[in-house]
Amino acid sequence: MNPQLDETQLLLRDTLRQFLERELSFDRVRECEREARADAALWRTLVKQGWLATPFPAALEGGGGGMVCAGILVEEFSRRAALIPIAEVLTAALTLQRCGAPCGGLLRRVLAGEAVVTPAILESGDSFYGIAAEALPAGTAAAGESSWLLRGEKCFVDYAQFASHHLVAAQCGGERGLYLVESADPGVKCEATPALGRIPQAQVRYDGARAVRAAGAEAVGELVRIGRALTCAQLLACMEVSLEQTVAYTNLREQFGRALSTFQAVQHHAANMAMHCEASRFLTYEVLDALERRSADDRQVALAKASLSRAAPEVLMTGHQLHGGQGFIEENDLYFFTLRGKDRSVAWGTAEECLALAATGVEQKARWL
Amino acid sequence: MNFQWPPEQLAFRDEVEAFIRQWRTPELLREYHENEGGGGTPLMRRYYRALQETGWMQMCWPEEMGGAGKNPLYRFILIETFEYWGMPYGNLTYTSIAPALAVHGSEEQKRRFLPGIWSGEYCFAIAYSEPNAGTDLASLRTRAEKARGGWTIQGQKIWTSLAQQSTHIWLAARSEPDLPKHQGISLFIVPTGSEGVSIRPLRCMSGLTTYETFYDNVFVPGENLVGGRGGGWNIVMHALNHERVGLSPTGNLARHYDLLVEELQRSAPQKLRDPVLRNRLAELRMELERHRALALRNAVTIADDDVNAGLASMAKVSGSELRHRLTNLAMDLLGRPGVLTEAAGGRAACGGQQQTTWLMSPILRFGGGTNEVQRSIIAARHLGMAR
Ligand SMILES: Cc1cc2nc3c(=O)[nH]c(=O)nc-3n(C[C@H](O)[C@H](O)[C@H](O)COP(=O)(O)OP(=O)(O)OC[C@H]3O[C@@H](n4cnc5c(N)ncnc54)[C@H](O)[C@@H]3O)c2cc1C
Repeated sequence: MNPQLDETQLLLRDTLRQFLERELSFDRVRECEREARADAALWRTLVKQGWLATPFPAALEGGGGGMVCAGILVEEFSRRAALIPIAEVLTAALTLQRCGAPCGGLLRRVLAGEAVVTPAILESGDSFYGIAAEALPAGTAAAGESSWLLRGEKCFVDYAQFASHHLVAAQCGGERGLYLVESADPGVKCEATPALGRIPQAQVRYDGARAVRAAGAEAVGELVRIGRALTCAQLLACMEVSLEQTVAYTNLREQFGRALSTFQAVQHHAANMAMHCEASRFLTYEVLDALERRSADDRQVALAKASLSRAAPEVLMTGHQLHGGQGFIEENDLYFFTLRGKDRSVAWGTAEECLALAATGVEQKARWL
Repeated sequence: MNFQWPPEQLAFRDEVEAFIRQWRTPELLREYHENEGGGGTPLMRRYYRALQETGWMQMCWPEEMGGAGKNPLYRFILIETFEYWGMPYGNLTYTSIAPALAVHGSEEQKRRFLPGIWSGEYCFAIAYSEPNAGTDLASLRTRAEKARGGWTIQGQKIWTSLAQQSTHIWLAARSEPDLPKHQGISLFIVPTGSEGVSIRPLRCMSGLTTYETFYDNVFVPGENLVGGRGGGWNIVMHALNHERVGLSPTGNLARHYDLLVEELQRSAPQKLRDPVLRNRLAELRMELERHRALALRNAVTIADDDVNAGLASMAKVSGSELRHRLTNLAMDLLGRPGVLTEAAGGRAACGGQQQTTWLMSPILRFGGGTNEVQRSIIAARHLGMAR
């Protein structure tokens, strides 16, 4: 039992952190937010430096770092509030890779920065179960891959307009699967739906868009598990940065002739934030590690996500309480984490949905050791 | 013991609701929000004039202040009803500055300012806070120095909300630097257009704008000093007490609750069939009841002419923290449609209101006397615990 990152993982984390602190200013993130767009230049850098490939196996010329490494990537970019689809691309691509989907060509292009793939699962009912989008067989394409036509609507598709491909959950005669669609296909129409987190997202209509079948029903489950675990890494980053900024600020800010951090009420709040952060870090990486070992079940992932989804708004709002007015303005960097954090707490299943899933197994005795 | 509202107070509630039905149009609400509550637009002015003609705004003031001496519970009913419907009933100019002027202003000041306030012509921004004087407000450093025919003001304020929309700034400054800190503060009315006043906008994460204001040798005529030299702290405290009553209504929270249930009925009826989610809603309802009890308890105490700072603080803490919990859970129950903003149009659940209110909720927790300080007040004043 060792919950610490190993040397290679630490090296990756520190390199990324130093690089991002140097190269990615919060003002650059503000500019992307104002223009409601992804940071394309940062995405190119991420690919060029080889970071995107680190979690993937050597067969794809990756670093073999697996899920934990994916968590580190997502956490570090989220600590800078970067507007890039790192969690989305890793969720989609790692699902395809781990399920052995016959998409090696696309994965290579993604890791080379020539393609960007984002998951498109939810529909207007915002449920991972009720999938109405339809895939219809449309003969065999020239390349020999069987070709499909997609019909339906997807909602809350993160980075839909930045992505070159959507990994769409659809059903054919009641059997669910994942289908790859090029976003430039004339049958694909995106409409931006601005949300609290300021992460670009869209509602997407597929009107007979050409698609390739990538994986079957079991991959949809894996996609949701990975999506949830990586969202935990995003939430963790938001909570920890909020706590770090709060501790730094209350050490500096004085009222009544002393630092805020010397008031007991302030210390108690900060201690509560810290407890949430510590537990969240453990649970996040434990779940990522279990996914890597293919031993995580849906309920374990859901419990972790529920825990972080509940903790994040508490931590973030306590951060605001201790910052007073200063934390409330956009000149201060705190707001990035508040907005992104709450937004992600409802993404990939709210605490309520995750608890409902966990509730299906309450009779099963948990093993505490 | 009697927990019933008397018929005349229920009749008053109906009268207020009828007025609201008449005036609550999308145009009015839009002008109100676009102007961030400033009130100077033509429709808003007409509305405020009509509101003024009802006599409700001052009906609970004592007769010697120009009011009708009604039981303060009428004011409670008025505010709760306006809050439920999200209808403007005057920003702090009406609820805080006007009563302070009526108590502390000279006869000449009342004649000069009150009619303009009631007609909606005047809008006051409040300049108490400074970069280094927040919770420790009494340490404020903006200086007022005696000059020929008046005073000159030198210094900086922050969070001067509505400064850009205002006609006047209600400003606390240190006029007696040699006296102990609470005794050295005076209150001035500074016309916003005065030479030497400059304003810098600060964009808030909720989309709202507030302002920093700078005072570079700003001249203020002697007749704009309110309540005498060194009388400022008393006035600030008086005004804040009024603010505290208005900070904790149940109405607005109850509306968010109703909006949530209506949205679930409309767009996610299957969720309402889930007994777990129904329990969550029932729990929120229970929290609303609990808050209503504290708010009403405080109001009844004020109506009995009793002052209990601990009860006012309980209502403030309870209301501001419930606002966060309620909107937070609302978004969880609505899922991703609940975090879409107003800009997403009809797809945004509750028109994006739950997330906007959630984003605003920190202000109510640290503003108007932070909740940490309020809890200390409850311990000291309500429980008599040693400081
Ligand atoms: C959008 C907005 C609008 C505003 N509008 C106005 C306005 O119109 N006019 C105006 O004058 N002001 C206005 N304010 C200012 C508001 O009243 C202050 O933010 C508030 O008084 C808190 O002060 P502060 O922000 O400096 O926080 P700080 O005083 O720095 O407090 C930060 C934290 O430290 C805690 N703390 C401080 N001292 C103690 C202690 N002794 N014990 C325990 N905990 C303590 C606080 O409780 C809080 O949690 C506005 C603020 C905002 C954000």
